[in-house]
Amino acid sequence: MTYGQIEQTVLQTLRPAPFRYWATVVLMFLGLLTGAACWAYQIAVGIGAGGQNIPVAWGTYLINFVFWVGIAHSGTLISAILYLFRAGWRTPIARAAETMTVFAVCIAGLFPFIHLGRAWMVYYILPYPNERTLWPNFQSPLVFDMVAISTYLTVSSLFWYTGMLPDLATIRDRATGLRKKIYQIISLGWTGRYEQWRHYSRAYLFFAALATPLVVSVHSVVSWDFALGIMPGYHSTIFAPYFVAGAIHSGLAMVLTLIIPLRSIFHYEAFITKDILDNVAKTIILTGLIVGYAYIVEYFLAWYSNNIVEQESFRWRAVGHYSLEFWIMVICNTVVPLLFFFRKVRRSIPWLFTISVLINIGMWYERFVIIIGSAAHDFMPNAWGLYSPSLIEYGILLGSFCMFFFLFLLFVKHLPSVSITELKEGVHQGEGHVR
Amino acid sequence: MSADKHVMALFENDVRAASAIEGMAGSPWKLERVHSPIPSDKILHALKTKKSKLGYFTLAGGIIGFFSGIGLSIYTATEWHLIISGKPVVALIPFLIVGFEFTILFAVFGNVLGLLFQTNLPEFKSLRAYDERCSGEHFGLLASCAEGEEKRLVAYFQEKGGEARLI
Amino acid sequence: MIRLFSAFVLVGLGTFLFQIAGQHPEKAWQAYLVNFLLWSAVAQGAFLFSVVLHITKARWGKPLQAVAESFAAFFPLSFLLFLVLFLGPEHVFPWLNGDAHGRADWLNLPFLFGRDTAGLALLYGLGLAYLYNALRLKRISPEASAGETSASETRSVPDSKQLEIYKKRTNVFAVLYIMAFAFVLTLVAFDLVMSMQPLWMSTLFGAYAFVKAFYLGLAALIVVASLIYISRGNASGLTPSQFHDAGKLLFAFGLLWADFFYCQLVVIWYGNIPEETSYVIQRTMMLPWNRLAWTVFILTFVIPFLILINKQVKTKPRFMIGLCSLVFVGIWLEHLLLVGPALHPKALSLPLEATDGLITLGFFGLMALAVRWALSRFTDWIPVRHQEVK
Repeated sequence: MTYGQIEQTVLQTLRPAPFRYWATVVLMFLGLLTGAACWAYQIAVGIGAGGQNIPVAWGTYLINFVFWVGIAHSGTLISAILYLFRAGWRTPIARAAETMTVFAVCIAGLFPFIHLGRAWMVYYILPYPNERTLWPNFQSPLVFDMVAISTYLTVSSLFWYTGMLPDLATIRDRATGLRKKIYQIISLGWTGRYEQWRHYSRAYLFFAALATPLVVSVHSVVSWDFALGIMPGYHSTIFAPYFVAGAIHSGLAMVLTLIIPLRSIFHYEAFITKDILDNVAKTIILTGLIVGYAYIVEYFLAWYSNNIVEQESFRWRAVGHYSLEFWIMVICNTVVPLLFFFRKVRRSIPWLFTISVLINIGMWYERFVIIIGSAAHDFMPNAWGLYSPSLIEYGILLGSFCMFFFLFLLFVKHLPSVSITELKEGVHQGEGHVR
Repeated sequence: MSADKHVMALFENDVRAASAIEGMAGSPWKLERVHSPIPSDKILHALKTKKSKLGYFTLAGGIIGFFSGIGLSIYTATEWHLIISGKPVVALIPFLIVGFEFTILFAVFGNVLGLLFQTNLPEFKSLRAYDERCSGEHFGLLASCAEGEEKRLVAYFQEKGGEARLI
Repeated sequence: MIRLFSAFVLVGLGTFLFQIAGQHPEKAWQAYLVNFLLWSAVAQGAFLFSVVLHITKARWGKPLQAVAESFAAFFPLSFLLFLVLFLGPEHVFPWLNGDAHGRADWLNLPFLFGRDTAGLALLYGLGLAYLYNALRLKRISPEASAGETSASETRSVPDSKQLEIYKKRTNVFAVLYIMAFAFVLTLVAFDLVMSMQPLWMSTLFGAYAFVKAFYLGLAALIVVASLIYISRGNASGLTPSQFHDAGKLLFAFGLLWADFFYCQLVVIWYGNIPEETSYVIQRTMMLPWNRLAWTVFILTFVIPFLILINKQVKTKPRFMIGLCSLVFVGIWLEHLLLVGPALHPKALSLPLEATDGLITLGFFGLMALAVRWALSRFTDWIPVRHQEVK
């Protein structure tokens, strides 16, 4: 692996794209427009266009919110936490993972906004002096969310952009005409001078060190949206680490889902080796086991608690109206990843892709089971009720996935989807092929 | 001064570049800039650079953030003059979360601002006397010398294993 | 040194027996419980370091790994110490004579005894199985042939098939140990700490206990490694950069410990449900325990956090010994804070006396003897020419 080969392979991906690329982009954009249209309809008609009602006041909008924040987390795990652990295998996938983070947080941030219904009132949550003499209540977990998600979005974007500066300079130096001008501006005139590198390396280390506790805190804050309430099934101290582990679980699965096609379409097999996919799969075993541990502990303590409300809530989850979703959740999140214990499975591309998709389905359903399952069946039997998503909600769900893939597709053809500079550094340190 | 000539030398690895830098220590030529595609310990060592002061910016940001977060929460809680809910008006336990998030946010702002101030980015002047291979596979040294010395400078660099040219 | 540690053990044992026979046996049992939990956690957590390093194929900490493995010598001792707990159950388990709040299905002596004994046997068995295979692997692996100074066995030609078998077994037992670590420490935390106050529960309590154990284990590891480094220098194979990395891990797990503590606190505080809050209020807001709670927090988190931010500190062995000792004391007090109010619900002052310190000394002596025995017996763990430890 020489520097030239690395550059060649990555710069190749930025060449003008074939028709099928643009066709896919347009398709995704249409999906995005569908979601936007559904949201526009909801703003016109009212939040009742969604399926949420009493008692299940939180539906797929919250599920999607938690889901997308979760996806975002493993991007930061890979680019920041694994950097601190000096795990060399992170390098080829860090850029794509960090990009996934930025886009996923953007989408996640939309959902509280969508869920608001009367979207024009969103500014109420911002702390600024106003004539109504109102401030947001900083004791509320929903306000924690506002602070945490904005912080995460800002920090991830800055981390992502700063990380790309040297690569943008590389592209600038190989480009011509208008493209050169554009990359010249966005690379901020980076020339790789030693003064720049000296401070840059330090800044990058600090970014990684700051992003790490941020990751843990953001999803803890999201989990506290539920855990700080007193509803059985919500009120549980294990939620914060359980959600963080689950987030990383689903995020790693999404990384696999994105990286596997990326790798073959862009001919990245030389950098994104099967060893790396293997390591991601092994990490998924760990996160799957943590999620499984949480399920077991929650069930055990529900029994131990001797509290009939708690026990009924957990009994109903497994055998009640939403039992299908529950079993999909358990099997996809905890049983299916155990297949990764087998080396053959970890190194087989079809298996990796299939399992990663199943895990994401399972994790989406986990949020369904927790958010909807608990609300549908809480303290008072005569307050029990069911929920099913409306077409508008399905439309917005579709829109969110299409938006994600739309943004990601645009990214891979216009910005370097693998970090050229970090790969060169890896070669320089004598790693050759990343472990 | 203004008649100074500039020579750009490109080396294929940082060991040679570092030895060229060290060799220039006692010479009449001045090392203006060093470009590299990746951060290199050897070059930084040869240049005898001091440790970056970026951390102070980050720390300052973090401290400001912590007190801003807690301060904002306490201020806004005390501004509402009706007592509602069973929680204390100024409750440190939830406010710690706000303080923590603000700490990280402002520390990152400090980090970015520190990076921009310390590296003087964005700056486009360096691009004028610059070789585009420096972001590729080569380590570039830009040196200046008095009028008449260029040939010796070019020869020196070539002897050290690099390709040199006048800019 | 052996004589000193043995003296500690005898002092501890003596104090314990003396107190049991006296007017207040419950004080002896309280000290025994706190120490059992603490020192077992030290051994389990420190040993986990070796397992984790193996599973992640990390190469930076091989000498530290060897030190971590020596803590396995305490496993059989911990198991026996656990069995002794059942000689005085009426003083250890408040729900035996009192109210089990309808949890008698779970909280009854035979079942508790059975499941916890089985759990600890499983955990320690898996740990020792991992250790056996890991040592075999080290002995027959090609890397071991180079640079060996003292061999207690003749070196055989590395057989690649055998290598594969031992590698596989080590990996399997490593994974199993990690899983057992999580579940067994959770079980022990629920049975021996959380259920002391039967009405209370916290789903994170088990995970909190095993994060605490790893934090404690890292601290113990750094202390022992620092002592070895001070006496043998670079010949021990330990380097300042390893201490730096271990110090960073300690910092991270200190943060994680505090985070897990906070996760429980914020949920319980916010929900304000009396079943849950009474536990927390008694321990953090009421006399005499609130001062202890603040002491625990400052010793275990605040001081280590502020100090470990600094890079240089982590590479100074003497300083780290001091810092890790603070963490030890902090977590010892934390155990007291958790079980104390359950065992002494009407205490007006802290049930902490000199005899507790003496019993602690006894446990410390046991741990020191075990670790020392392991380090001297398995000489190729720490490559050195002369075996004599200070």
